[in-house]
Amino acid sequence: MATLRLRNIVKTYPGSTEPTVHDVNLEIADKEFIVLVGPSGCGKSTTLRMIAGLEEITSGELYIGDKLVNNVEPKDRDIAMVFQSYALYPHMTVYENMAFSLKLKKVPKDEIDKRVRWAAEILDITDYLERKPKALSGGQRQRVAIGRAIVREPKVFLMDEPLSNLDAKLRNQMRAEIIKLRKNVDTTFIYVTHDQTEAMTLGDRIVVMRDGWILQIGTPQEVFEHPANIFVAGFIGMPQMNFFDAELVKDGAGHHLVCNDAKIALSERIQSALAAKGYESRKVTAGCRPEHMVMKAAGEDTMEAVVDVSEMMGSEIHLHVTCHDRDVVVRIPTTELEAHQRGGLEYGTHIQISFPGDLIHLFDPESEENLL
Amino acid sequence: MNSGVKHTSVYKVISLIILVILAILFLFPLYWIITGAFKPTTDIYSAETVWWPSQWVLRNFRELFSSRSAPLFQIGSLTGPTVPAAIRWLINTVFMAVMAMLLTCVTATMAGYALAKKRFVGRNVVFTLIVCAMALPKQVILIPLIREISALGLYNNLWAVIFPTVGWPFGVFLMRQFSESIPGEMLEAARIDGASEARTFTQIVLPMVKPGIGALAIFTFINSWNDYFMQLIMLTSSSNYTISVGIATLQGESSTDFGILMAGAALAAVPIIIVFLIFQKYFTQGITMGAVKG
Repeated sequence: MATLRLRNIVKTYPGSTEPTVHDVNLEIADKEFIVLVGPSGCGKSTTLRMIAGLEEITSGELYIGDKLVNNVEPKDRDIAMVFQSYALYPHMTVYENMAFSLKLKKVPKDEIDKRVRWAAEILDITDYLERKPKALSGGQRQRVAIGRAIVREPKVFLMDEPLSNLDAKLRNQMRAEIIKLRKNVDTTFIYVTHDQTEAMTLGDRIVVMRDGWILQIGTPQEVFEHPANIFVAGFIGMPQMNFFDAELVKDGAGHHLVCNDAKIALSERIQSALAAKGYESRKVTAGCRPEHMVMKAAGEDTMEAVVDVSEMMGSEIHLHVTCHDRDVVVRIPTTELEAHQRGGLEYGTHIQISFPGDLIHLFDPESEENLL
Repeated sequence: MNSGVKHTSVYKVISLIILVILAILFLFPLYWIITGAFKPTTDIYSAETVWWPSQWVLRNFRELFSSRSAPLFQIGSLTGPTVPAAIRWLINTVFMAVMAMLLTCVTATMAGYALAKKRFVGRNVVFTLIVCAMALPKQVILIPLIREISALGLYNNLWAVIFPTVGWPFGVFLMRQFSESIPGEMLEAARIDGASEARTFTQIVLPMVKPGIGALAIFTFINSWNDYFMQLIMLTSSSNYTISVGIATLQGESSTDFGILMAGAALAAVPIIIVFLIFQKYFTQGITMGAVKG
């Protein structure tokens, strides 16, 4: 059993008055893949390092299984960690790197050999076992780093931005490898990244952090479809969500939205949610993902926008437009465009855009919290 | 493009000429000592400069080895067989330089690693003091050092010239610079792997700072070998002399046999040349590291 419980975990570095990590509460189930995601300086790596035992916990309690491990040495926590820089020992061969921790544990030689070769086979690095790390490519080094961790058969597998040193192509490849690895190594994973694509594709649940606070915990789908606040909505999803200043209007027919003179009818689902929470007419920040934005003929529900940049992405076009002084991105599948528009729209073209009333997110402009 | 190539080759030729001239200037004393050691007395005292020995003789070496004698070793009341004093001096010098080298490498590597990678109260103060100590001339600390060595009962003992070298601030500084280059994540990986402090130091840190240790070894060896001043002050009896002090005592008040001096100097130079040739790769690395990171 390798459940983890983080209770009111706080980290304040000596000499600093502000905590780097504030009151983190998190329960991680056995064999769950949790991804801590957020921008640089959000406290995700510090949280991971506290779990690893590399940073002292200022206050709060950390349990691995049923054991309180606040003051337990890293080696006794039954964890393994993959570092961003791989941290391979340069003077040792790949085999020696992978066998190092097992030797220290005084595991019999034949058992060490068995485990190293098993890990090497899973990671497809058997041919490199006698090489030194400097003779390997970035991707191979990363595999060795993962191999060094899995031979230990740890209760908890910690990964600190393991793919950030790789180029885009290799990163995609390694991401797929990690998904495969998870099937072979059935243990609890805690993965730190600033890349929302990695978070979305790898995690059973995502923990979004900012400035040391946890903003939202949920499955990738939950976080994507129902972001807790404007920050999460903007951080998860690529290109990021568009935001508009709008007015939520309640009249005899129910709620609708007025956004830059466009009147947007809201879906029944949203209307009932608003009614249930008793919202009257008020100012809101409306959010709509670029793929949900539409380009259409002028009407009651459209807003005028001017094309700044048109990016041809192959199967779709990303239009960067200015709409009432706001930068807005609209993703349009090329199949929905007329033949002469498929190469992109000219700079300065005036278009009409809108968003459907059932795929909209409404936030409080002050607290930035999701209203629905 | 053509003028660029021309410019580079002219630059290379000029650099080469300058380097050759400098090499000749630096090598000349060594050439003079070695040829002088094999010259007959008539060549040495000739009114005209004799650039090459008229005949190669071993007379100077014979004189050097027969001029004085000393026991091969003395440990407490145990005394070794009597041998030419020059041999004893050479053994003393090698012992002194090797011990200074080993002890300095051990202490400076540990201190440099701790100062680079460990967080403790007063770390910066300690390092600042070490850097300040690098600026102190030897003469300034001489009197307190003599008192300290005397208090320890080590005066006129080879350890009197070994111990002061062991705390060499430059060694700590150099090893700190090398230790700085070890990624923190690697030490953390070792910690998670279950390595103790001692094992991390011996199995992870030491192999990674090996070039630094090599550089420090040669620096310390040369420094200790050439430290004539301290050896002259600390060692008073003939059997404890090092080769450089011993040779100096061969100069008479009214006359000096330069042939014997040259033979002694040539003998003294051999070990240091061997050490340099073995460690020269590390020596260059050490200098570069100091230049880039210092």
